[in-house]
Amino acid sequence: MAVKAVMHIMERDIRYFFRFKWWVAGMVSMNLADLFIMAVVYTRMVNPNLVVNYFVFFAPGLTITALFAAAFMIGREVNMEIRRDIIHYMLSLPIKRWELAFGRVLAGSVRGLIYMSPLLLTTLAITYLYTSVFPSPLELFTIIFTLFLVAIGTSGLSISLALSTTSFEKYITMRGVVYYVLFFCSTVFYPMTLIQSSLPTPLVLIARYNPLSCGADLSRAFLLGTPPFSFWMLLDLGIFALFFALVAAFAYRRAMQK
Amino acid sequence: MISLRNVWIVAERDMRTFLRYKVLLIMRAIWFLAQIALFGLVVNKMLRPDVQDAVGGNYFHFYVAGIVITLLYSTAVFIGYDIFEEADHGVIEYLLSVPISRKELVLGRSIGGGLRSFIYVSPMMLFALYLIGISNPLQLLVAFASLFLFTFGVAGFSITLAVSIKSSDKFDILLGVVDALIVRLSTTLYPIAYMPDYYAALAKFNPLTFAADIFRWGAGIESALITSPWTAVLGIVLFFSMFTFLGIILHEKRIEGGGWQ
Repeated sequence: MAVKAVMHIMERDIRYFFRFKWWVAGMVSMNLADLFIMAVVYTRMVNPNLVVNYFVFFAPGLTITALFAAAFMIGREVNMEIRRDIIHYMLSLPIKRWELAFGRVLAGSVRGLIYMSPLLLTTLAITYLYTSVFPSPLELFTIIFTLFLVAIGTSGLSISLALSTTSFEKYITMRGVVYYVLFFCSTVFYPMTLIQSSLPTPLVLIARYNPLSCGADLSRAFLLGTPPFSFWMLLDLGIFALFFALVAAFAYRRAMQK
Repeated sequence: MISLRNVWIVAERDMRTFLRYKVLLIMRAIWFLAQIALFGLVVNKMLRPDVQDAVGGNYFHFYVAGIVITLLYSTAVFIGYDIFEEADHGVIEYLLSVPISRKELVLGRSIGGGLRSFIYVSPMMLFALYLIGISNPLQLLVAFASLFLFTFGVAGFSITLAVSIKSSDKFDILLGVVDALIVRLSTTLYPIAYMPDYYAALAKFNPLTFAADIFRWGAGIESALITSPWTAVLGIVLFFSMFTFLGIILHEKRIEGGGWQ
């Protein structure tokens, strides 16, 4: 597999991402408004016995939601390319199918990481300001590696969904359900104990093994000290990333062979 | 002389166009369900007991009513995108060639933009009322009438923005930013009493605050924290009058002499 070819595909997708100015602007304002307005107000309403400071609790979660939303977007483009036969043009390029497939998965994740970076810096600043804790280089590396795994898995999941149907309506419905279930059924907005006491068991299970929960909790482990770091979180994310990256690559290759 | 029939024809066309946005309709419906069935339920258990008392005993009901208004706003605002798309695809030239006066066309767009949003949100509004319960049908009717005006006002607001900005990129970005701020700086998600003063000052004059609080009042949520119903009605009427008028004037002005190009 030629790294240069994969890099070309990634570069194309990253350039494409910044064409969606309206989406990026809307997302940035939404993310910042969530943190600096919504979380600030909820901090005054949340029971401190459950969450001591909601603003600080939510900040690491915000990084994950931003990463997830940006990485998830690649699926929409892939689905559009399949429906409009743009994939034929992609096949005409002097790039192997595997390179194309992995390039797309990697591009989706790198887009997520690029979009998330300023929000990660904001989170680091906020948690440092409130807790005076700054992660060690190893902890920081683990956080970034965790986010990379979440991004790879999300990008793969999104591409797999996009390739599972050629009907745009079916795709949008599936995408919406998966997106919102993963989004709200996670520890991004609230701790696991609350989810356990509020939602039925199947949703609790989703929340527990949800990569967004693992990503948010792993970041909180290093930035806030709770919940404690567990190796299983990394393993969970590793399996999620590997599984969906492979599924997406195989599905993409299959779609190109049709 | 404005022909109501012509106005209705334009409004009906906008309503039919809306049904083509399957993606938007599906995503918004899923978003609504996820917001109330997941986020609303969990957050309801996260709040202090005094907050629950202050919002009328159940934050979940308070939140569900707010989410309905957010949905109403986000679908009514969509008419602005239609206007941009039509300018891009040359549909405005066609619309100007039909035997309908400029005023009828513009008024019809504003009414159609609001009405289609109200129709789309109605089943979800009824579901919300089923969850909250109805205690006073008369109050509810007043609330519905106010929300009807609110959707026309939002459509007018979106049309005003769409015709004031020539670049579709700038319009998209501005609408994205406004959308993020207008919802969070209102009482759709939380009561004004818990907002810091600098946010509360803005939220007090936000049309979404008036709409959310009048809907809560209509549904019988008893809370001292919601805006007084008559203030809310007055706020909505002012919002509706201002933006429907502005939208019509500006839109009419812009379509003369190819101002949209």
